[in-house]
Amino acid sequence: MEPKVMEPREENLLRSMTQTSWRFYAWVGFLGTILLVGLVAFIQQLRHGLIVTGMRDQISWGIYITDFVFFIGISHAGTLISAILRVTNTGWRTPITRMAEAVTVFALCIGAPIVIIDMGRPDRMLNIFRYGRIQSPIIWDVLGVSTYLTGCILYFYIPMIPDLALLADRPEMSAWRRRFYRRLSLGWRNTAAQKKLLERAISTMAVFIIPLAVSVHTVVSWIFAMTLRPGWDSSIFGPYFVVGAIYSGAAAVIFSMYVLRRVYHLEDYIKPLHFRNLGLMLLSFSMLYLYFNINEYFTAGYKLQGMERTLLDRLFVGDYAVIFWTAQSVCVFIPLLIMLAVLGVKRYEHFTIPGMVFASGLVIVGAWAKRYIIIVPTLRSPFLPSGQRLPWEWTHYSPTWVEWSITAAAVAGFLMIYTLLSKVFPIVSIWETREGEVTETEPEAVPITVGAPSRWWKGGAVATSVLLGFLLLSSQSAQGATPPAKHPKPAAISVDWKVLPANTPSVTGSPDEQQPAAPRRVYWYAGRLFNPFSTSENMPPEEKTVAPVAIVATLHDPGGAPIGFKPLEFSLDSGFGTLSFGNRPTMADGRAQLTVRDRRYGTYPVKVSFRGDDEYAATSFQVRVNFGERPAPALPNVGVLITPYATSPVTVPFVLFYGAMWVVFAYVFGYLILWRMRKVRD
Amino acid sequence: MEVTRRGFVQFLARGAGAVAAVGVAWKASASKLFHEVLPARSIAPGNQKWVMVIDLAKCDGCRDCTRACTAMHHIPPMQEWIKVFEVADNPAAGAYFLPRPCMQCDNPPCVRGCPVGATYKRSDGIVMQDDDRCIGCRNCIAQCPYSARSFNWGEPPHTPEELARPYSVEYNYPHRKGTVEKCIFCPEHLRAGKLPACASTCKMGAIYFGDELEDAVTNGKGETVQFTKIAKRGAGFRLMEELGTEPRVYYLPPAARKYPGPDEQKQAVSMAGMEHS
Repeated sequence: MEPKVMEPREENLLRSMTQTSWRFYAWVGFLGTILLVGLVAFIQQLRHGLIVTGMRDQISWGIYITDFVFFIGISHAGTLISAILRVTNTGWRTPITRMAEAVTVFALCIGAPIVIIDMGRPDRMLNIFRYGRIQSPIIWDVLGVSTYLTGCILYFYIPMIPDLALLADRPEMSAWRRRFYRRLSLGWRNTAAQKKLLERAISTMAVFIIPLAVSVHTVVSWIFAMTLRPGWDSSIFGPYFVVGAIYSGAAAVIFSMYVLRRVYHLEDYIKPLHFRNLGLMLLSFSMLYLYFNINEYFTAGYKLQGMERTLLDRLFVGDYAVIFWTAQSVCVFIPLLIMLAVLGVKRYEHFTIPGMVFASGLVIVGAWAKRYIIIVPTLRSPFLPSGQRLPWEWTHYSPTWVEWSITAAAVAGFLMIYTLLSKVFPIVSIWETREGEVTETEPEAVPITVGAPSRWWKGGAVATSVLLGFLLLSSQSAQGATPPAKHPKPAAISVDWKVLPANTPSVTGSPDEQQPAAPRRVYWYAGRLFNPFSTSENMPPEEKTVAPVAIVATLHDPGGAPIGFKPLEFSLDSGFGTLSFGNRPTMADGRAQLTVRDRRYGTYPVKVSFRGDDEYAATSFQVRVNFGERPAPALPNVGVLITPYATSPVTVPFVLFYGAMWVVFAYVFGYLILWRMRKVRD
Repeated sequence: MEVTRRGFVQFLARGAGAVAAVGVAWKASASKLFHEVLPARSIAPGNQKWVMVIDLAKCDGCRDCTRACTAMHHIPPMQEWIKVFEVADNPAAGAYFLPRPCMQCDNPPCVRGCPVGATYKRSDGIVMQDDDRCIGCRNCIAQCPYSARSFNWGEPPHTPEELARPYSVEYNYPHRKGTVEKCIFCPEHLRAGKLPACASTCKMGAIYFGDELEDAVTNGKGETVQFTKIAKRGAGFRLMEELGTEPRVYYLPPAARKYPGPDEQKQAVSMAGMEHS
């Protein structure tokens, strides 16, 4: 393919990749310094542990987790906006999809490792894979974020392939760069058949990335929503976080659009139209986010339940009030007003770009503060505040220089990746802008529409088959504790015992049925409710009614004549002490009966003793009484999702969903791009 | 393509067939795909169900239990595995002392949330903590509604006695930086047939401990009582029952307290101070 004659705006775009000014080096140096400080802080933290942070037992998550949620949130809009615009085939999208996707990929590259910094033992990171439990929200996040990162990298890379081939032919690129681009372009020859394959790959990815993105921020919110904490124990956390994520991400896209337009002079690509259209989207999401905020706090504030009241007091008027109202204003109120003015009022229309950029900046900063407000005050208000008799700094949280440095380094790292990779890859899609921009001449005409038909499902069958392997551990049956056997002394008491029929009818069978309960299958502990295919044989047996035990003691003299009307004391040796049942008098026939109706299992030595009086000497007799078999060792069947192994109710949905995503990735990238695209003939 | 009734019925029939096939395959494979037996470490050495009863009426807030626990497990400073809270639920009833060990829940949120199984439920009811495996993510701390877990933020100060023994989940020391710790009902003592450190130390006899299957609990004074009886007659309750965590620690209400509560103690101290001056 001979180098096509390029338009001036494309020449300008290429110049952004080949020419660097002193400002670029100064900027990189500045970011590098911040990164270096962050590195020093991290080394400090590795050496001394998390004690160098402001976190303590009560507030055990701080701004690291805030950063994590923030960056995962920022990552949301890029791909989502790009995917929605592609699926709906919106014409004006073409110059901005690449930079939106870039925001996503780079934010994820920063957001995902931050949890490792937050870990107390980063050296044991691989335990996540060795011992991972699918029941834990942390593992859902590992699964979700890694799938999402892979998907976003593919979704960033696949639409770039034609551009890479184009760059490989450009004379202004150095030889090694041309080789690099040639390699990455995977044999792209710009034929019609290849183009068709690429279109299919992109549209398939676009369709699947939308539910994936929604799921990822939902599982991030579930880290919090799956706890019993006031303020987190909320059913709207999933959509609340997803909307917040798209909101902050859209702001990041607008902000990066502005910066790149300014720095690389991309005015020919990125027009006021883009700011206006994305601005309308940001405006609608700010209203949606406001709605979620009202919903979240109004429902809690109306009821003022227990610790929720303490939490709301702290947020609204207490020690977090300043940051709470600042965060809400900066994140929602002020941007909302600015956007309403520049987008809705005709006379402020010429402020659209600066207004939108300012609003986006506020949203980004506010989104971070909002995450902080969600995380820290809740941890400050537990049901049992462990702060009693602890110093102030163990119950209050203020981030230390280490945490601030690492946070600054995370932001700097994001900007650094963006800066450097914008020199490697064209930040605007060249081939798409050549063909795509149909509505360029008539701005204002295309609002965001949803519902245009997509063609992904024509593309071929998507098979979903997933396997999960587990480690098999052998189990050992435990042995019941046997109390030491004692020989009964020849004495004047003889004891007999028998199990009486239970008064209340037993649920599972006859009362004298004393078989040990069958060991319960581990995978059913996850709760019967969840399991559509469970049958009664798999259900844990109902608790049996314990049959009463009658212990009859006879007091007699050595000759065998019964001794009546004397007190006999009954007691039982339990594991730690002697449980006394008190005295029972012997009747005229010398018999005293004790009926034990306790909820007791196992065999115990029961001692019947006579204190002795003037007539008869003291004596005692011991007998081993079986109160019924102990149940086999098992986990409590009320425990939901506490099993040591994976259980079906959580495993199947997560593995199916994310497994399906990996199958799609394999189909799109492995089959369509790597395999078919090389083979295809015109 | 023409949409016909026949075609639609066929479509529905195929769908139903597919669902049935998945169901049958599921029934056949579920028990093979998922484990049926407990791993060895989840099975306790003895077949018991440990249970603790704390009589709040007898607690005088001396914190001997905390000290005994700290000494036994060589617990690092700023951690208390059994913590004595001063609780005032409402304005009228006055404050009382509430010793809080780990509740060893039967539906433990920490075990649910642990990503690596470092905290796990044992068949005798104890929620164990394996610091050889803990990655320090602190999700269990976030999950625990009883604030019963602490974290080694820095390198814990060590003593020679603590370092003398190799690490075991049964006593959870030597302590390690960056891992979570908690009360584990002293499994080492239980193995030897002794009461946990807090229960055996309490000179008020407020902490009863025993095997639920034996239906007997014993306190530090050697008094053994029937568990179901004191729980029933004493109107035993569990902390935050509404959360569904099913704790294995029961409390008897601080009714007819035998010792002055925290506010009365403070008052007495201030009165004494006034007398001195």
